Amino acid sequence: MTQFTKPLPSAASLLQRRAFLKQAGALGAAGVLGGGTALTAMAAAPSRIALPFDNGERELVAYPQKRPLILLTARPPQLETPFSIFDDGEITPNDAFFVRYHWSGIPTAIDLQDYRLNVGGNVAKPLALTLDELKQLGEAVEVVAVNQCSGNSRGLLTPRVNGGQLGNGAMGNARWTGIPLRKVLEHAGIKAGSVQISFNGLDTPPLGDGPDFVKALSVDQAMDGEVMLAWQMNGADLPMLNGYPLRLVVPGHYGTYWVKHLSDITVLDHPFEGFWMNPAYRVPDNAGASTAPGVAPAKTVPISRFNVRSFITNLADGAQVHSGRPLEVRGIAFDGGYGITEVAFSADGGRSWQSARLGKDLGRYSFRRWSIAFTPTRKGAHELKVRAVNRIGQSQPIDPLWNPAGYMRNVVESTHIVAV
Amino acid sequence: MRPQLFALFLCAAVAAPAVLALEIDLPPETAQFKPSALPGYELVQRNCMLCHSVHYIQSQPPQSPRGYWEATVKKMRKPFGAPFPESEVPAMVDYLVKTYGAERPAAGGK
Repeated sequence: MTQFTKPLPSAASLLQRRAFLKQAGALGAAGVLGGGTALTAMAAAPSRIALPFDNGERELVAYPQKRPLILLTARPPQLETPFSIFDDGEITPNDAFFVRYHWSGIPTAIDLQDYRLNVGGNVAKPLALTLDELKQLGEAVEVVAVNQCSGNSRGLLTPRVNGGQLGNGAMGNARWTGIPLRKVLEHAGIKAGSVQISFNGLDTPPLGDGPDFVKALSVDQAMDGEVMLAWQMNGADLPMLNGYPLRLVVPGHYGTYWVKHLSDITVLDHPFEGFWMNPAYRVPDNAGASTAPGVAPAKTVPISRFNVRSFITNLADGAQVHSGRPLEVRGIAFDGGYGITEVAFSADGGRSWQSARLGKDLGRYSFRRWSIAFTPTRKGAHELKVRAVNRIGQSQPIDPLWNPAGYMRNVVESTHIVAV
Repeated sequence: MRPQLFALFLCAAVAAPAVLALEIDLPPETAQFKPSALPGYELVQRNCMLCHSVHYIQSQPPQSPRGYWEATVKKMRKPFGAPFPESEVPAMVDYLVKTYGAERPAAGGK
């Protein structure tokens, strides 16, 4: 397909782009960005990885501002973090952070002189803020928070569910810097009778008729003081593919709400009914957000908070260890923001459990590290399991739950190792 | 590095002029549809790749049945707005399920 050697949006979409984006592209080409040299991916030897499910072979590709990551799709770019990176620490580096888009009309050049955050709809004073003006509205705040794709781990479901075939790497934990959304909304002045607030970014459907990726939160949630407009992650500007120059951060909630390249905040006096709130991103309206495989849920609600998850990060399935020699088993756990209070480890497939030691507490929205000493006392196969509990007693199911969209997997993970 | 020196370094970094623009070049897209004598082969190259890379198709579970491919191709027209005519849907679905889905020859497809 030589006519598609560059993963660019179609000509139709380029025509549709907002004026300032066209301008940004033209300025970049004219050399404003230091001789016109855009950030380009570093050349890297092509390598491959096999995710642990049928048809899980993937390329590792280095995108701009990224190390080689698991390529799910090239246009738009969707990249998964190789799981071994989660063993490096609580914080996921920016260049390893996963990437998820819905439409291929993504911004690849943004000039802050032209960028504006528009706040409008049912407000007393509509705003059109530069990034600098936004930063002046209040004290910058920080939160360490996990972002996780709703469909993280979808490829591991049985029976399989169509959609993005991800392993466990569509998640990451970063220190986000920004301003509470509440400050901005207070500045604009939410009028009486407002019920929801919608969020749109600079990414667009490539052809115009498709539903733009727009998400909504209730006014109460938007005003909770925790939802943030972030311009930095881990002390640096957001990478382009993670939402430069500004993204919504909704701690404890699935990544679908963390709108990238945020450009428009609209206060609404009615519930938002766009495609990406309904029918997309819905889960069964029951405690486990699950149904029997193949059964349609009676009622659905928008996906919202993370459930509890925990992982072993330093031993992969199939790893060989030495019998009789002590080793440390370690990993991460997180939940939707109540905070992890206990991590239990089993070395015998779940028959007996021991409490692991919890690592540094970076806040209730962060990955929490855990570790435990383990000495395999006999040769042969061992099934390791890890299960976390949060402050309100939520935990993980031993048997996997299932829903038609393949969201919210949080089964107790098993890692099979062999002692030799 | 001693803490004082580290603090100085940070100050210098903060004082540096902020980046006022960002531009990236995406790597080339190389994935292609599997060649086939089926009439849908030409159609998917034109109709699917107008908006997205082949990865969306080739990464699906190999047992994905005809019903999945049909529903998905139709979803691309409506509500997603892909501009191909409805008359091209059956041939596209036939190619997709026989090349990437449950009716592949390797899957014992019919």
